[in-house]
Amino acid sequence: MDEVKLLENNSDSQETVQYIVVKIGNEQYGINIKYIDNIVRNQRITRVPKSQKYFKGVINLRGEVMPVMSIRLKLDLDDDEYTDKTRIIIIKIESATIGVIVDQVKEVVTLTEADIEKVQHNPTSENTTGFISAIGKSKGELISLLDIVSLIEEG
Amino acid sequence: MDVSQYLEIFIDESNEHLQSLNDQIMILEKEPENEDTINEIFRAAHSLKGMAGTMGYKRMQTLTHDMENVFSEVRNGNMKVNSDLVDVLFQCLDALEKYVSNIQQTQDEGTEDNEPIIKALNAFISGEKKQEAAKAEEKKEEPAQAASDSAASTIELADFEKNAVNEAIKKNMHAYQIKVSVDENCILKAARAFLVFKNLEGHGDIVKSVPSVQDIEDEKFDFDFTIVIVTNESYADISGIIKNVSEIKDADGKEFTELFPEEQPAKEEEVKEEKKAEEHAAKPATQAQVPATASSKKAPAAGSKGKAVGRTVRVDIEKLDALMNLVSELIIAKNGLVSVSSEENTDGSIGQKFNEQIEYLETVTTNLHESVMKVRMMPIESVVSKFPRMIRDLSKKLDKKMELYMSGEDTELDRTVIDEIGDPLMHLLRNSADHGLESAEIRKERGKDEVGSIFLDAYQDGNNVVIEVRDDGNGIDVAKVRDKAISKGTITAEQAEVMSDKEIIDLLFRPSFSTSEKVTEVSGRGVGLDVVKSKIEALGGDVEVKTSYGEGSTFTIRLPLTLAIIQALMVKLGDEKYAISLASIQTIEDIPVTDIKYVHAKEVINLRGNVIPLVRLRNLLDVPGQPEESESITVVIVSKGDKMAGLVVDSLIGQMEIVIKSLGKYISINKMISGATILGDGSVALIIDANTLV
Repeated sequence: MDEVKLLENNSDSQETVQYIVVKIGNEQYGINIKYIDNIVRNQRITRVPKSQKYFKGVINLRGEVMPVMSIRLKLDLDDDEYTDKTRIIIIKIESATIGVIVDQVKEVVTLTEADIEKVQHNPTSENTTGFISAIGKSKGELISLLDIVSLIEEG
Repeated sequence: MDVSQYLEIFIDESNEHLQSLNDQIMILEKEPENEDTINEIFRAAHSLKGMAGTMGYKRMQTLTHDMENVFSEVRNGNMKVNSDLVDVLFQCLDALEKYVSNIQQTQDEGTEDNEPIIKALNAFISGEKKQEAAKAEEKKEEPAQAASDSAASTIELADFEKNAVNEAIKKNMHAYQIKVSVDENCILKAARAFLVFKNLEGHGDIVKSVPSVQDIEDEKFDFDFTIVIVTNESYADISGIIKNVSEIKDADGKEFTELFPEEQPAKEEEVKEEKKAEEHAAKPATQAQVPATASSKKAPAAGSKGKAVGRTVRVDIEKLDALMNLVSELIIAKNGLVSVSSEENTDGSIGQKFNEQIEYLETVTTNLHESVMKVRMMPIESVVSKFPRMIRDLSKKLDKKMELYMSGEDTELDRTVIDEIGDPLMHLLRNSADHGLESAEIRKERGKDEVGSIFLDAYQDGNNVVIEVRDDGNGIDVAKVRDKAISKGTITAEQAEVMSDKEIIDLLFRPSFSTSEKVTEVSGRGVGLDVVKSKIEALGGDVEVKTSYGEGSTFTIRLPLTLAIIQALMVKLGDEKYAISLASIQTIEDIPVTDIKYVHAKEVINLRGNVIPLVRLRNLLDVPGQPEESESITVVIVSKGDKMAGLVVDSLIGQMEIVIKSLGKYISINKMISGATILGDGSVALIIDANTLV
């Protein structure tokens, strides 16, 4: 926590947002840190029959049963391959708490407004880009910022 | 005065009193002469008024006061109970309920004065008064006459009482027989009478009272009672003391001047000598009498209430939930221990003692769970008790004659279920009243009793509670439902052809489907049955309808007794573990593959004369992999009501107490999965709702 505070203090007077950078496939995605409750290692996921295919199943998170969603499948990518870098990020939004599977958690970045470029939504584009709210630039790399709320809420 | 801390109690008690008023007025309408009921009503109304007054809710107090006046007239026999009066009284109760719910939400009673109701109430009083004024006066005079006669005539005295009077006269004391009349509008007669006794205590001995002190304290007297008092003071003083008690109308009496015949001859001097000593003795005697009366007062008061009200403590439901959660944790922890011990046991390294301790822990957690569950249980009565009133109102509104018969009100359900079950039941009852029962003419034509009957029966069936709403009305016209479904586009004509009657009837539970020709205030907007169904399914139950055209329909609601923790059978399908509630399991059978028969290309088995369809859980749940070939299959026979099904599983793990957890939002769950549970090793197993598979 101290580190977080330091970061905040050091930043400019500009509005800043912190993102956790995760890797899914070859791309880097950013998830707004305010929605993140926890990050846990991959664990045994119990399959739930007849649910949406992008729901991998449920896990036991400290005594609570938590559904786990595959971002890969939701974004129409290839199915997950579990490695020792695979993590489940516990996302807490207003209406629910849910886990999402990512290939790797890389780092926390702090972006200022100047670093963020809004994506123009092309109505004809595939659903996939609909969950990307903006593109962030950090250390010369591009990060697709996920609109995690609609990713979860939109069936 | 800061009364906010009493607010909760006030709201709870007000609701209780209102419910009791509702019930009693229903009875009163049927038995206008029932004195117990009138007294009960009076008591409830009076407490309500008192409480509202204390809490400073003036409007509520005013309304209750006027209502109480009406009851008072009824009780005094000056007014007859009729249907119009009952209507107004019910309006009055509704208005009071509104006050209470306002108070509950905003701590304020609101600004509605309910003038029309107050006027209507007062109109009843004045109307009745005018009509019966003449009669009443005549009547009043007669008893008054009779009363004064009785005052004049000496009341029966027992020997020892006569002796007491004689003694007094001999001692130059006075003995008076006084008839005390209480004002007829007096609310707390017993309290007034008690004050009379209390105020007289210092002034003399009350030798006798008619009716007895106990009866007076129990309010078992009309508006007067007679006492015999022995005193040194003059008649004027004594009657003054009595009349000083408020709401005492009159005290009228006479002095005993002559000795009773059984007198023992005695000299006045002796008496005089003894007098002082006696006086001293008398004082402690009277004082001794006080605690005696006080204690005798308490005993009958408790006895008269004696409806065997259990000793209760009001507990915040959240506190119970917290307790429940802790119990759940404990059970999970215990399951953890169990699984550790079974693992260790295979090494043979853990001794017998460890197992014994675990078994002990298991007993404790099971008992703890049961007690906590019991605390959460409430009789269904608290929900259904408002229904007779509702049916009465509906009967008037719909202009149909109907009667509600209830049974099993003491059936208990979890508090959370009780809170939710009211609306669905109300929907079903309204449905029966509006759609089910025919008008009186049609009923006559059909040779039925003009008065329609609606039944509400609740009973426990294994680990389920069943609530049936039944009527002897029209039943469901399947053809009409089919036509309606086709015209509404719910189904196509082709679909309708192949659908069974039962499937057609199930259409009624679809959203926005109502067959009522006209939209009435009661029902017909098509928001009934689907809401009922979804509500009950949300509670883990299900609802079924059986109907026979022209004879009536039965809606059967089946609810789980407990929501949070159940006994379950753990089974294995491939690598996956599933739980099946033990409550729905009949037996477990090993069936040779050769015994599987086919009916309509579906697998069935013939088990002791019952043909039971087989359900291959592996296929149903899309379990990956293929089952091992074997000569026999393991079948778990489950039942719902009188229907059965055989669930085919790979193997059995064993029985376990499991804590039901929800699967969370957004993940869409098939109906056959009713939840999940956490096993001893920390993994999650899904719970199969066998009811959906039968």
